[in-house]
Amino acid sequence: MAELRWRDVSVEYRAGRPGTARARRGEPEASGVLAVDGVSLRVPAGATVGLAGESGCGKTTLALSALRLLPRSARVRGEILLDGENVRDLSFGRLRAVRWTSASVVFQGAASSLNPVRSVGWQIAEALRLHPGADWIGRRGRRARVEKLLGSVGLSPARAGAFPHELSGGQRQRVLIAMALACDPQIVIADEPTSALDADVAARIQDTLGALVRERGLSLLLISHDLPMLARACERLVVMQAGRIVEEGPSADVLEHARHPYTRRLAAASLAVGDRSVRRPRSRPPTGTGGRLEASGVTVDLAGRGVRTRAVAEASLAIERGEIVALVGPSGAGKTTLARAMLGLQGVTSGKVLFDGRPLPRGAALRAFRRRVQFVPQSPDAALSPRQTVWDAVAEGLRIHRVPGDERTLVEDALRAAELEPTERLLGALPSELSGGQRQRVVIAGALALNPELLVADEPVSSLDATVRAEIVALLAHLRDARGLGALVITHDRGLAWALADRIAVMRGGRIVGVGGVEDVLLGG
Amino acid sequence: MSVRRAASRVVGTLVSLGMVAVLGFFLFRVLPGDPVLTLTRGRPVTPGEVARLRHEFGLDRPLVTQFVDYAASLLRGDLGRSYFYDQPVARLIAERVGPTLLLTGAALVLSVSLGVWLGQWAGWRRGSAFDRAATAAAVVGWSVPAFWLGLLLLMAFGGPLPTGGMVTPGSDASGAALAWDVARHLVLPALTLAAVQFAQYTLTMRASVLGELGEGYLTTARAKGLPEDGVRARHVLPNALLPTVTLVFLMLGQVIGGAIAVESVFSWPGLGYLAYQALSAPDLPLLQGTFLVFSATAVVSNALADVVYRLIDPRLRGT
Repeated sequence: MAELRWRDVSVEYRAGRPGTARARRGEPEASGVLAVDGVSLRVPAGATVGLAGESGCGKTTLALSALRLLPRSARVRGEILLDGENVRDLSFGRLRAVRWTSASVVFQGAASSLNPVRSVGWQIAEALRLHPGADWIGRRGRRARVEKLLGSVGLSPARAGAFPHELSGGQRQRVLIAMALACDPQIVIADEPTSALDADVAARIQDTLGALVRERGLSLLLISHDLPMLARACERLVVMQAGRIVEEGPSADVLEHARHPYTRRLAAASLAVGDRSVRRPRSRPPTGTGGRLEASGVTVDLAGRGVRTRAVAEASLAIERGEIVALVGPSGAGKTTLARAMLGLQGVTSGKVLFDGRPLPRGAALRAFRRRVQFVPQSPDAALSPRQTVWDAVAEGLRIHRVPGDERTLVEDALRAAELEPTERLLGALPSELSGGQRQRVVIAGALALNPELLVADEPVSSLDATVRAEIVALLAHLRDARGLGALVITHDRGLAWALADRIAVMRGGRIVGVGGVEDVLLGG
Repeated sequence: MSVRRAASRVVGTLVSLGMVAVLGFFLFRVLPGDPVLTLTRGRPVTPGEVARLRHEFGLDRPLVTQFVDYAASLLRGDLGRSYFYDQPVARLIAERVGPTLLLTGAALVLSVSLGVWLGQWAGWRRGSAFDRAATAAAVVGWSVPAFWLGLLLLMAFGGPLPTGGMVTPGSDASGAALAWDVARHLVLPALTLAAVQFAQYTLTMRASVLGELGEGYLTTARAKGLPEDGVRARHVLPNALLPTVTLVFLMLGQVIGGAIAVESVFSWPGLGYLAYQALSAPDLPLLQGTFLVFSATAVVSNALADVVYRLIDPRLRGT
């Protein structure tokens, strides 16, 4: 049995060179950043270790260093021992032989981890071709093995011929697990294998991975930002912050008796259903009138590729003034389509959308409605133009609606309402100079600048780290209590719904299958 | 591709062609120069004879009537009669399609293979001396006027290699000897054309390869133990080739018309040379005919590029 061990490892990224992935995405290249700082970590043979931390803490760098997969700009110090051999000293030929046979990686099932123009069967078979084994001889042997691997992760063997884009996120993740197990490695490193997936799908994939690891007696290093999930899946927990290990120990200990404040913050940031300490229900009844948005028997058929699909079927839902309603359900349930219909962005096939009791206006009057009901999209990266300053981004709505008053004052008020300070420093900043949480606050500030009565937020925190997520939840709850600002929050995250919402609507297969108080829906059923 | 989509594609192509025919007709009427005066230059003609010739060509009638006549015969498949050659335009064009395809085909094969090879390595080894040299060569080739490069090559190699035409005048060679003669005539024009065209394949290929380098699936491939050459050939190339293949099909259309300068410099008996000769008259029916052929190839190859792109990219199959 093999063990994986880092001994006093540091990884530093040299100042950026043009052409690296970061530079091409337009992000500033960090200069001489110490991503991993003197880390010693042991994954004993047959053990399961969870590595927790938020984005940028160096956990992925550490994982990739195990197979020497870091980009050339990375400078590694220390010893990385894989089965007793220092990976840093291996010849390239020996390294290639070790890769995937001693240790393999379950990459994140995001589309980019698989080659888009090769079938998934081909990509799994490639590993088999590179590392011939007694169990998979020849083309036929490889094909049989691929089918067996797909079966072991719960996919039909017929899916071998599918291309990545033909699979769902969960299926792609299963393919990546099958691929990692192809050459019978002793150690599996899983880097955020489920963080891009729906809660239900993620749970099933964790079960699959856990069962395979137990069955085969593999060592597992599971990397995630989700501390409770890691605690369930692993015997030991290691918490990383800013390139250093700040806490480690048996899972239950770390979770319940966290010594380091960061661990406590990470643990508290996870919004567990049933945990009353994270719940923020409405503190007082709303003041004022207006702002009630209602969908009444809305059906939406979407046409695409010559096929009409019924995305939303006779959905009825009302958001009262000053109320936060969470619309939950798995992806593909029609949540976003219903929200778009309620915003007047999507025509309805039948049914009505009413705002303050009147049908949504058409033409010029729709603009006035848009001012009163603002939209907060899922990813701030997609919502903000990389070339626009914070001022311009927030002022855009003000300009479109020709809001009277001093623009600078209005923008600064909006930024303060979104708890973004100091405003003088932020006004001229570009999105690339802000953190993910700050970016989402800028988007929210842009909505608040128009003083709306209702927000419609589509997965407002799913692209953010757990601790940042908790802050945004607090902000939305505060806006509701202080301003009577209602919200329709679309999410697949039941924890978020539990923490934030006053009422909850569950959607499945285009229909609303349940509406009620949060505690009734999430705890009762 | 669904039947509906294919049908709308075909209709779109036909509409484009119709507009090209209209445009070509009026465009060439605006050209300065009088075909009758050009034809009769240097000969003793009376004003009466000039008027008769003008009447024969139909040039004395209103523009709209001329257009209606042109459109009617076009619909019958009649491209008209050349003023200068006094032959049907369709026959003149048909005679010259072969030589043009030979020249542009040879240049296309050369420029695509050179461009893809250079671009691939330039992107893979970005920032290296090879990258800088290949990019510089591509930019130079792209910027150089084709006729100027053709003249330079003529001066440099004009002795050992034939300087014009497609076959040696007066030769009655056939079979292998004829092929060899044509091949020798082909070298300089094909090289010139390839030199000015390979740049776009190089630069497209380089950019596509660079675009793939940051992708996660390359890390996956390396983690599986694939050597770097395997990562390049088996993962980067199939993705990076997609835009280039589309570009090749898009260029097919322009390549035929784009050979005008080179064919003129080397007196290559192709469509481009024919168009060039027609332009100097202006030989209106011949100009309209060649313009229609050039445009039709461009329109058809655009449609073809669309189809091919859907075939080679699995993400677009069935859309």
